[in-house]
Amino acid sequence: MPASAANNRPEDLTARLGVGAGAAQGEALLKALREVKNQIIGNKTKKLLYLHLGAVPKIVSVLAAAAASSSSDSGGISRGGDAAVIVQAAAAIGSFACGVEDGVRAVLDAGAVPHLTSILSHDDEKVVDAGARSLKMIFQSELAPKYDVLQEKNLNFILSLLDSDNENVTELAASIIAHSCETNEQQKALCDAGVLLRFVSLLGGSSNQKDGCLESIAAVIKNNPEVSSRFSCTGNGKALNALANLIQDRYPHTRLLACKCLIAVGHASPCYVEELQIKTKLVLVLVELLEEPGRVGNEAPFSLKTLIADDEELHKQALSVNAIEKLCSILQMSSVQARRLQGILLALAELCSKLEKCRCQLMSPQVLNLIVDALKHDCMDVRVAACDCIRNITRSLKNLSAGCLSSEAFIVRLVQLSHDPSTSVQIAALGALCNIVINCATRKSVLIKCGGVSQLVQLSKSMDSALRSRSVLALRNLMFLADITDKEFILKELTLCTLASLIYDSECSIQEQALALTSDLVDGCSQSVKHVLAEDSIILDAVMRQLQNASSIGVCIQGMFVLSNIAAGSESDKDTVMNYLVPPHTDSCIPSFTIKFLQSKDILLRVASLWCFVNLTDPASVGSSRRVARLQDAGIVLQLKSMLNDPCLDCKLRVRMILEQCMELETAQA
Amino acid sequence: MPVRVVESSTPSQDSGLESRTGRPPPPSCSLLSAGRAFSGTQNVSSLQKDEAWKVNVRIQGIDLDNGYLCGTMEALNVPLADTPVVTFWEGELVDGNNFTFFTRKWEATPEDDIRHWSKFPSFAPLLRWKEQYFVNVGIDCGLTIAGFYYVCFSCSDGSINGFYYDPNSSPFQKLELKCIPGGCSGYTFSSYQLL
Repeated sequence: MPASAANNRPEDLTARLGVGAGAAQGEALLKALREVKNQIIGNKTKKLLYLHLGAVPKIVSVLAAAAASSSSDSGGISRGGDAAVIVQAAAAIGSFACGVEDGVRAVLDAGAVPHLTSILSHDDEKVVDAGARSLKMIFQSELAPKYDVLQEKNLNFILSLLDSDNENVTELAASIIAHSCETNEQQKALCDAGVLLRFVSLLGGSSNQKDGCLESIAAVIKNNPEVSSRFSCTGNGKALNALANLIQDRYPHTRLLACKCLIAVGHASPCYVEELQIKTKLVLVLVELLEEPGRVGNEAPFSLKTLIADDEELHKQALSVNAIEKLCSILQMSSVQARRLQGILLALAELCSKLEKCRCQLMSPQVLNLIVDALKHDCMDVRVAACDCIRNITRSLKNLSAGCLSSEAFIVRLVQLSHDPSTSVQIAALGALCNIVINCATRKSVLIKCGGVSQLVQLSKSMDSALRSRSVLALRNLMFLADITDKEFILKELTLCTLASLIYDSECSIQEQALALTSDLVDGCSQSVKHVLAEDSIILDAVMRQLQNASSIGVCIQGMFVLSNIAAGSESDKDTVMNYLVPPHTDSCIPSFTIKFLQSKDILLRVASLWCFVNLTDPASVGSSRRVARLQDAGIVLQLKSMLNDPCLDCKLRVRMILEQCMELETAQA
Repeated sequence: MPVRVVESSTPSQDSGLESRTGRPPPPSCSLLSAGRAFSGTQNVSSLQKDEAWKVNVRIQGIDLDNGYLCGTMEALNVPLADTPVVTFWEGELVDGNNFTFFTRKWEATPEDDIRHWSKFPSFAPLLRWKEQYFVNVGIDCGLTIAGFYYVCFSCSDGSINGFYYDPNSSPFQKLELKCIPGGCSGYTFSSYQLL
């Protein structure tokens, strides 16, 4: 084997690195460094190999020695030699840190940062460039140290970098700021120091410089209304105009970063990015960027989602520029990378959150199959995004009824995801299940058969309120229009004790769902009333207690529907409700909450309460006259008479119904 | 509800009327709600014979924002069928926003629209129901669901009156349904919530 090839083996090269005895010197050291650098650039395998051989600390020690030697008073040739060694060492260090987390760790552990920082003030521009580029690689990693700009020396250091004429150095400053700026105070300190103004002036530079500045601007403005407003006012809108121009830059990455900046301004200080025209332009640019390869195409859907979030008008704009078609066509490509897939699904989920037109566009079997496939993806974030997408598509009653999402495998998969080790996935899967179980006996039956009910019941006892809330809602929706067998089955799994504890849950929203579940249990099903009265009326007691507590309007409405549904039953059921609403033998003849409910500003609460009295005064029931007399004594009939001109027609109609029934009973008695 | 195809009816004309009526949206109506059931008859008489089918309807869902509702319709004594025939229908609420009085499809002309709507009292919620598919029989069962219903809903007692319209069927086949309270002695309510 030729000697030079043998000497270029990683083990041999590594042995020649370092300082002191055994290490190469001068030209030999330079050659070794250059060879290592050339071998590792773009080659992850080689990087890991050299890491394993311990090359990094050796190279850092070479850098440190050369930097120290270079800064001392020594002759021209020696300094030139040192500069060459520094450049190669810095380049190698930067390469180790590029895209390899272990490499970043090794570089940081070896103490490279202070040495690289020290060479930024070197006379030789090539040394400065090498140091700056290497540090930029390090600061692209989350592992890099953060500079707290609230400390004066750190701020001064960054400002000195930003003032440099060297683009690599100013880009480094931008990287450090983008990486380190986290708190509102830091953002303000940077803004006060004029950093944003400097960035705006640098936006005319090279593409890399523009990109670095844009990332930093976004970091300094993000979620900070004061800083964002000051930026937007800069130069009478010059800063915003500069960003608006950059969304049409020739480079896709620059266009994306400019969009992100404007989106950040729009969120932090909406008045500056209010015009529909600019937002529409942003939608158009981002939709075009969806088709870009690499990082730009991966990130574009996330930015699109952020831009249009909760904005129906922008959803329409996105629809008009065929956003859904583009997102679906990317979805249909083979081997879409996980990050991009997550972004696509989240963007689709956002688009389907409000507009029926968008939901209908996703109802093709091809697209649905792809979304369902994503439920099985290895990446947790993709599974969550797929569940969110399905949840929003199924906000459409029309789609639910179309039966496209009725395959057994699909529902079984969602139930499996409700067992996922990740709570986020569980919550997302429950969200989809909540909607899926509405309105289709087939889907309900599949869910029941695959053990979905016991899992929902289990999750309804979770410490996590989001899991409890969604599982109770799913059980409620399952109970809606379920047949008697299924109702009995669900209740048997749930148990009266668990149902009662859910009615008493600490969260009002869960109390409300549990009461609605109870109401759906009793609806149209006189057999189910016995459950509400079983075990010493544990459920009815819970309902009454919550009506008296009146923790929220929603709780009161659902509670009254429970009573109303019971009161539609037998004579004994009506008397039971009557005794709870107007307890016999009480001193006070005015029941506390029923009159309050009838006087509520909330229409649905008045309506729910009125239906209860409609049922209690049903002329066909034997005991209705007796109940009417008690309602009279309790002042409820008087309250009802005052509602004859209720502003809500539905309430007016029920009041008339009740009073006509009362009159009919009176006439019958007479 | 499916009907037999019959030779009849006036040719359709397009008068080009396009304006909306500006009618305010109907008030909220607790009897027009998901889960509510109705029962009655549809008059399917033709020139050849008098006939009425017993009909049960259930509203399965309502989306007021989009003026959409859906449900099932069950026809009980259909001569051509061994069992009750169930169809799935979708409805449009004439709210002046999502849907207007003018149908603009299903071979219904504006004149047809006016002729039918004018048979109903003015203050009730108005709807169109269109059966979409058979749930429990095949499309070769000899019945057709090509037409649609003009429907008027009474908020006071939940009763429904309607007319089936199909240019190939007898005109003005009346649908009359009463609201089923749900309980053995009173009205029950159930609900779902979309997330």
